[in-house]
Amino acid sequence: MAGPAPFPMRPTDGNNVNNSIKFNSLTRYKVPRLVLSPRRIFSDILSKGWVESAIPLLGFLAVVITIALTTDSYFSGSNMRILALYGADTGLVILALLIVVAVGGLDLSVGSSLAMSAFVALYGFHILELPVLLVLVMSVASGAAVGVVNGVLAGFMGCGALLTTLGTMITVRGLFTLASQAKLVEISLSARSDDLWDWVGFAQFMTLPVVFWVLACVALLTFFMFRQSRFGWHILAVGGNRKAARNGGIGVKKTIFSAYVLAGAIVGLAGFIYAARQNSIAADTGIGLEFFALTALVVGLGGFVPGRGAVVSVLLGFATIYFMNNVLVNSGFRGDFVQLVMGSVIIVILAIDVRFRKNRHRLLAATYLDPVALKLPPVQNMTGLMPSDLAPKLAEATVLGSGEIDGPEDVILDAGGNLYCGTRDGRIMRLAAPDFTEITVLAKIGGRPLGLAFDAAGDLIVCVAGMGLVRVGLNGDVELLSDQTERSLVQVQDDTSIRMGDDLDIAPDGTIYFTDATKRYDMENWGLDLLEGRPNGRLLSYDPKTKKTRTVCDNLIFPNGVCLTHDGKHLLVASTWTCSILIFDLADLAAGPRVFMSGLAGYPDNINRASDGGYWIALAGMRNPVVDLAMKLPALRLRMSKQVPPTDWLFGNLNIGGVLKVNGTGDIKDALWDRASGPLYMITSMREHKGALYLGGVNNNKIGRLDLPGADPDWTGPNRYRKES
Amino acid sequence: MLFFSLFVDGFANLGNFKVIASNSAALLMLSCGMGVVIISRGLDLSIVAAMVAGAATFGILTVAGWSVFPAFVVTVLAVLAIGVFNGWLIAYVEIPGMLTTLASAMVITGFFRYEVLNGEYLLMLPSDSRAVQLLSGDAPAILAVLVFIASWLILRYTTMGRVTYALGDNAAAARLSGLPVRLTTLGIYAFAALTALFAGLVVAAASSTVDFRIVTNGSLLFEAILVVVLGGIPLRGGRGGMRNILVGLALIAVLRNGMTLLNLTTQTQDMFKGVVLLIAIVIDNYINPRDTENDTVGDL
Repeated sequence: MAGPAPFPMRPTDGNNVNNSIKFNSLTRYKVPRLVLSPRRIFSDILSKGWVESAIPLLGFLAVVITIALTTDSYFSGSNMRILALYGADTGLVILALLIVVAVGGLDLSVGSSLAMSAFVALYGFHILELPVLLVLVMSVASGAAVGVVNGVLAGFMGCGALLTTLGTMITVRGLFTLASQAKLVEISLSARSDDLWDWVGFAQFMTLPVVFWVLACVALLTFFMFRQSRFGWHILAVGGNRKAARNGGIGVKKTIFSAYVLAGAIVGLAGFIYAARQNSIAADTGIGLEFFALTALVVGLGGFVPGRGAVVSVLLGFATIYFMNNVLVNSGFRGDFVQLVMGSVIIVILAIDVRFRKNRHRLLAATYLDPVALKLPPVQNMTGLMPSDLAPKLAEATVLGSGEIDGPEDVILDAGGNLYCGTRDGRIMRLAAPDFTEITVLAKIGGRPLGLAFDAAGDLIVCVAGMGLVRVGLNGDVELLSDQTERSLVQVQDDTSIRMGDDLDIAPDGTIYFTDATKRYDMENWGLDLLEGRPNGRLLSYDPKTKKTRTVCDNLIFPNGVCLTHDGKHLLVASTWTCSILIFDLADLAAGPRVFMSGLAGYPDNINRASDGGYWIALAGMRNPVVDLAMKLPALRLRMSKQVPPTDWLFGNLNIGGVLKVNGTGDIKDALWDRASGPLYMITSMREHKGALYLGGVNNNKIGRLDLPGADPDWTGPNRYRKES
Repeated sequence: MLFFSLFVDGFANLGNFKVIASNSAALLMLSCGMGVVIISRGLDLSIVAAMVAGAATFGILTVAGWSVFPAFVVTVLAVLAIGVFNGWLIAYVEIPGMLTTLASAMVITGFFRYEVLNGEYLLMLPSDSRAVQLLSGDAPAILAVLVFIASWLILRYTTMGRVTYALGDNAAAARLSGLPVRLTTLGIYAFAALTALFAGLVVAAASSTVDFRIVTNGSLLFEAILVVVLGGIPLRGGRGGMRNILVGLALIAVLRNGMTLLNLTTQTQDMFKGVVLLIAIVIDNYINPRDTENDTVGDL
């Protein structure tokens, strides 16, 4: 290195007693126990999968509450029993329709098919005088036969489901009318009765009608079919995306056919129940049933959605419509009014559903960012040390591996002096000592490797954004140590996954302390976390002995760099957006952090130990008064994020950054600034090694090396650390 | 047709053809509207509901003593409102057309029976009412021909017609190339409702009643679809024209008339029509195969 400007270094005073930290005299840092924000809760709920099923549930509750308030004893046991008796067959038809809609079709022939199988049941029972079980088989077969016709046309031949089932609907209705006209008198004159037949039609089992239990069984079977069986999964896959299903090796046509047949059989069962209960049929049996079933389905699914087998939701939708219909009729409204209401309900729900589906991601994007006021203390203890006061010393740095490494967020050196860093494309690179020109890939791990540390065994432990904690042996072996932690109790969002593992350090007992900088944004969007300014990050620990990950401290504001103090008893954690360094007592982590340093001039990133008993702190960028002011005004930032293109947003100054040198108690002793024109910029890490400082930057394509005259020429991070522990 | 000519007495004579023509006037008008909608790759299941709604409005207004012209204007406006509402739900709210019209048919019928007819199925028109007198004789046939020609002109020579074909061919491409697809959809469904109104007037005048049961029993709706599909307009849209409607109409009218002459009951006729519809769908599917893998929710 040619002619470095000498600068004052503190004398090496590693174990100096004056340097020991008086933890208890530091200011407490208040960590919020709970972050509650209506906006956040709204956006979290919006991003949940179950939000669509919540709407039918709310509708159901609304209807039930309204009925309970406006009528007397509607929900009494006897009335419920009657409703269960009369609703069972319709419920079955709705389940059948659900199966067909789930596979991506539609069945309008359910009404006619129900009437037909009810006729078949009555014909078999009264005229052929067959045993009840055989009658049941005949009914189911009659329904399945209609299903076969639908399935062949709509499934195997690929005709449009709507018109196909419209065709079968009129054809079967015509057949039914002809048949029932011919046999109706004969059926009504028959006096045959049968215990089993009456038991199905009228008996109660465990205080509820038998037919209700039939519905419950079929619903349970359908539920498990969609959840557990291969056929159910195939149905959902075909309904979700036919092309993908075929490419995935599913027999699409066969699946559609089977779904229609199964649905037909269930309709046949419904027809049998209808016949057993009514013991008669009329010309209008099943007319309009398809529309009723469709309404219930649309209400239950919150729209017309193929590829969803939400049995519970659909039954809720059915109950909603059934109660509503029943109450309307009971209170004297005519069928025409009910028809008007049903039609309007379908239109309104479909409209809401379509708009919601289309705009949900926009709504989510518009509500996701949730800024809060963040008041920073003014810059402290920087007199004479600001970039304007000092020459940019990092401009003197030698450049290593220029253009061959992309984005070394952290750099580290092993005892042999080899240099390691992660890159943007998920590789760990090794720059061989002594001249660092031989660059090899140590391991490909994927994700975005950030913080690095050596454990006692000499393996590299890496914090990987998007993955978690990874161990990389120096022979290139990769092992995932941890990718999730405990779930916090009061969170809508599942926050078990480690989203942005940032930096780590290893305690003398082997415990790895590392940070998850933000639970809400990915590596590409960390800047949005600054706009938010909320405590979204957490400090985690991983115990290699028990292989357990636990959350040490939740709700920190972008916890970034982690560094053990020289005595191995405390832990320094950089809180980037607050421009401060927190300190934890390893003996009593539950006591929470205290403030080690605050009012830094820039945004602190990684922290590392220095040979003289002090610490190096990387400043990725500088604060400026405008951003500090903006941090106090959440509404301004929210408006900015919506109205101003991201390239024009107010943001911290990333043109200049550098490295602070502090002593063991947190007094700033020196500042090494970079220059806006390079060669290094946005310094995110630095390591001292044998009298030189190695500098990494998350967006740099090189590593800097700066000689430190006056520093201990034998000091290396790993050696020093192990000597003490 | 040959089958019926050879085997059914009284089929092949001029008088019978005249009957066929006048009976088919309403169906022709309905099919024109349905045809335009299907060419745009839509489906209007509320067309029969709009038809009876229009006829009922006009009937009530004339019975209430309005003179024909203002009553007619109000009716046209009411029916256009139905069509525009359908079109708005489809084009702007983006609910699939089939589901929209399925539901709006329920709403229209429910509304009219509840608000206007007080629960009745039938609205009787006095046979001396002006509407009935106006639409007797050859008037239905002339009206049908006018509607037919108007549909042909619109499809062939107007921007709306050309955009209709573009919509049916590839709606996304039509929208991306800047065609006014939403406005056109609005126009298409309004036009369908208007043809339904004329059909409704003719049917009401012929029987002096407006019968709401034809909505629920549905066979007229299926006949209209049948005419379009039998005539060779693919349900995928984008192709076909008014001459296909004529072919389809001839087939279905002859079928209907022949079956009546064979003394088949209405139920048997319905059943046969269902079978013919199924066969027509299968043939349509064979001639115009669909790539079901790219179907979306609306393409049922």
